[in-house]
Amino acid sequence: MRIVKLKQKNLNPFLEVISENTELWAPVRKYTDRHVFAQVEDVSQIDVDYTRTILPPRKIFLPPSFNMFTATEKEYKENFSHATKKILFGIHPCDIHGLLIMDQFFNYVFEDPYYTQARNNTLLLGHSCWPDEHCFCKSTRTHIIEEGYDLFFHRLSEDYLVWIGSSKGDDLIRLMPDCFEEKLSDEDIQFYIRLREQRNEAFQTEVNFTAMPDLMELKYNHPLWEKIGTACLACGSCTNVCPTCNCYNVMDHPQLKERGSLIHRDWDTCTLQSYSEVAGGENFREKRSDRLKLWYTHKIQAYISKYGKPGCVGCGRCIATCPVDINVKTVSQALDGKDVDAFWNRLNKGEIK
Amino acid sequence: MNQENQCPPQTNPFKPEPARIVRTYYLTEDVKFFQVRIADMEKALSFRYKPGQFAMISVLGAGEAPFSISSTPSRPGLLEFCIRKAGVVTDALFRLKENHLIGIRGPYGNGFPIQNMKNHNVLIIMGGIGAAPLRSVLLNCLDNRDQFQKVTLLHGAKRPAEMIFRDEFFDIKDREDLECHLSVDQDDTGEWSENIGVVTTLFPKMEKIDPQQTYALVCGPPVMYKFVLQELLKLKIPRDQILMTLERRMKCGVGKCGHCAIDYIYTCLDGPVFTYWDVLHMRELI
Amino acid sequence: MNKDKVKIGIYELTGCAGDALLILDCENELLDIFKAADIQSFSMAKSDNIDGNLDVVLVEGSVSTEREVEELKDIRKRSQLVVAIGLCATVGGIQARFTNPKEWEKNFKKVYGDVKMEHTPPLQSKPIDDYVKVDYYLPGCPIGKEQFLHLFTRIVKGAPPEKYPRPVCVTCKFKENDCLLNRDILCLGPLTADGCGAACISHNLPCVGCWGPVEGANLTSEYYLLKEKGFDVEYIKKKMANYSGTKIAEFFEKIKEEKK
Repeated sequence: MRIVKLKQKNLNPFLEVISENTELWAPVRKYTDRHVFAQVEDVSQIDVDYTRTILPPRKIFLPPSFNMFTATEKEYKENFSHATKKILFGIHPCDIHGLLIMDQFFNYVFEDPYYTQARNNTLLLGHSCWPDEHCFCKSTRTHIIEEGYDLFFHRLSEDYLVWIGSSKGDDLIRLMPDCFEEKLSDEDIQFYIRLREQRNEAFQTEVNFTAMPDLMELKYNHPLWEKIGTACLACGSCTNVCPTCNCYNVMDHPQLKERGSLIHRDWDTCTLQSYSEVAGGENFREKRSDRLKLWYTHKIQAYISKYGKPGCVGCGRCIATCPVDINVKTVSQALDGKDVDAFWNRLNKGEIK
Repeated sequence: MNQENQCPPQTNPFKPEPARIVRTYYLTEDVKFFQVRIADMEKALSFRYKPGQFAMISVLGAGEAPFSISSTPSRPGLLEFCIRKAGVVTDALFRLKENHLIGIRGPYGNGFPIQNMKNHNVLIIMGGIGAAPLRSVLLNCLDNRDQFQKVTLLHGAKRPAEMIFRDEFFDIKDREDLECHLSVDQDDTGEWSENIGVVTTLFPKMEKIDPQQTYALVCGPPVMYKFVLQELLKLKIPRDQILMTLERRMKCGVGKCGHCAIDYIYTCLDGPVFTYWDVLHMRELI
Repeated sequence: MNKDKVKIGIYELTGCAGDALLILDCENELLDIFKAADIQSFSMAKSDNIDGNLDVVLVEGSVSTEREVEELKDIRKRSQLVVAIGLCATVGGIQARFTNPKEWEKNFKKVYGDVKMEHTPPLQSKPIDDYVKVDYYLPGCPIGKEQFLHLFTRIVKGAPPEKYPRPVCVTCKFKENDCLLNRDILCLGPLTADGCGAACISHNLPCVGCWGPVEGANLTSEYYLLKEKGFDVEYIKKKMANYSGTKIAEFFEKIKEEKK
């Protein structure tokens, strides 16, 4: 792998040059303290000092709602308008891992062209990060990334060390060759190594993933799930913010003015009551606890059995999002037999007066 | 990351093929038969499927839903479905007349393990709408009769008028190479010439078969499974030779939308045909 | 009149007529609406109304007089499909929030005194499904343009949409709003049916629940969560009751019992 060096002050000019003919997507600030991935017109909008965005980057590859077909009885015309050429800058290692999981999933047996088109048309320019209290990507071993990006920017004190991960990434570097130094000094390397060690020490949240597949199996009928179910608001936020959730619903929208329909594909959520209902009204998972079990089976058990790694990348979004403390951290701790300070426990112990 | 795929892919698994309804009529009060031909002749002939697989049918303006294929691959060109009125898509489908265009894509799912079933006895037990996927395997066995040992059909319905494919089964009932027993829970016509009683009352009438050499295929309403399974276990048919097909909500048929997930199994990819052994060892399956 | 067109009637019971008004407010689509269907009765829009047999009726407003009960039953008899539109028809509306009959009588007296209304005897306000079978619900106060046009187009082109209830939170997350509950603000998003596009929360205001309760809402959890956050119990109940009509009466009974 080739590694080059870029002065931090040259980052924005570089982004400007490479995005001249391509959409540039990057983290920008929303409210005072939140971030979202958005298309940026002006590189000064970009804020690399972020921990996590509200929605994961998968929204760029499969938007929450988009049109799959413009259809008449005779023809279903495909619509790939979401799959424009893009550069996604500022994506963190955990989110790149999330996309790698999505890559596997959306190419399993059948290829999902809506995903792969958008994915193939997007260059990933990663950026290093620092964990906050919710990050547990070290536990999922997704805190470092060795593949899957075109460029990866490691921030040092005044420079970036830039990993070149693909020939397309290298092509970008070549658009501004003078800005990149080929030679790294020993100090740079030492600084990078020290930073990496410090970052490893900075993680405050740990989840014992190796035990989870067995614990999910052993405690599948444990009363714990009922307790968690009593607290779940069934709002769907955990799945919507998860970088590895894939479920969707399809809806036919006939057009009032003309013949035919638009076939929309919308993100769906397994925690909703309507999710497992079949025609005729029978529901396979009427209980909230059953639906939660499905989600957690997928995140902390099933992917491990199927793909050898958890379906969770430790981004901490579910922790930051769920209003009632139901997230991978608390649930796995509870499965591990710990007395977790979570809303469902306070609710069931009658602590709320 | 695969960088090759810069142009639209050759095949979009979500893209329905326009297909024409060739024939449609009521089988019972709320079940209708649809014979369909994919409009593009080449695609119609290259639509290769296995008994037990399903297709996604779309009705423009209403939506898309999965349906078992009831025709047999041994008679290519036309696809047949046997559909019960149960929701928005089927409501719209029921209103369509012959010659109307619908969308079809597939085939999907694992289907029955026909290769393994060869040179074995095939015992088919259907109740109600369960005839939809099992008619495919029955006709396929009869069309390739020399590939199988004994073929037996047990078919139960609530009343004579509710027996799906009644005329068709009466036509083949006396074939020498098929043992066929039909039954209704209740005869409200007074003209029923066959057995009266639930489908399990047909078991004592069956000729003896070697259970180790038998595949039993079951599909019907949930209440039927429990009692039929007891009978099959009594006959000592191995649990991994008892096959059943399951129903789940599906939006894609190709393992992407997530609706049919059970654990890490996707009914649309790993099913809809499961062995009784699978069912016993997977959570949530029935 | 085209024989093939779906025959539609739009009727108003007790309410502010906001839903009928919203239909008229679809200005860009109005001509297409009237072109696509045979609208036989729509008293807000036209005068030559025919009250015959219909394919679909859209009913706005709650039932609050005996005459309205008769009218509604007649409408049901004349139509294949009945769609409740707007909060009043779907849950009873704000006027149905006094779920206790005794309380209603008390309030009625307070407002009208001992007046006897013989012509149209009043009833406690109820959603229309208290009296007739409803095939489809289109919530909202008033209904949303997008949801209405989707439903209307689906109906005139052959099939009502699949019922797919989901809470406001789903769209709210699509819009990448920060969760207000996490900022200790009383937001009813998780309890409320989606369709507004998370309008309030996108403007940094909490959801007040004007689309009515969503199927599968976990009222108990939200109630105790707000309680834990330090909100006054009566205030929480008032907020939850505002747009829930008679639909969460059972929950309030349960809360009462738990307190005892």
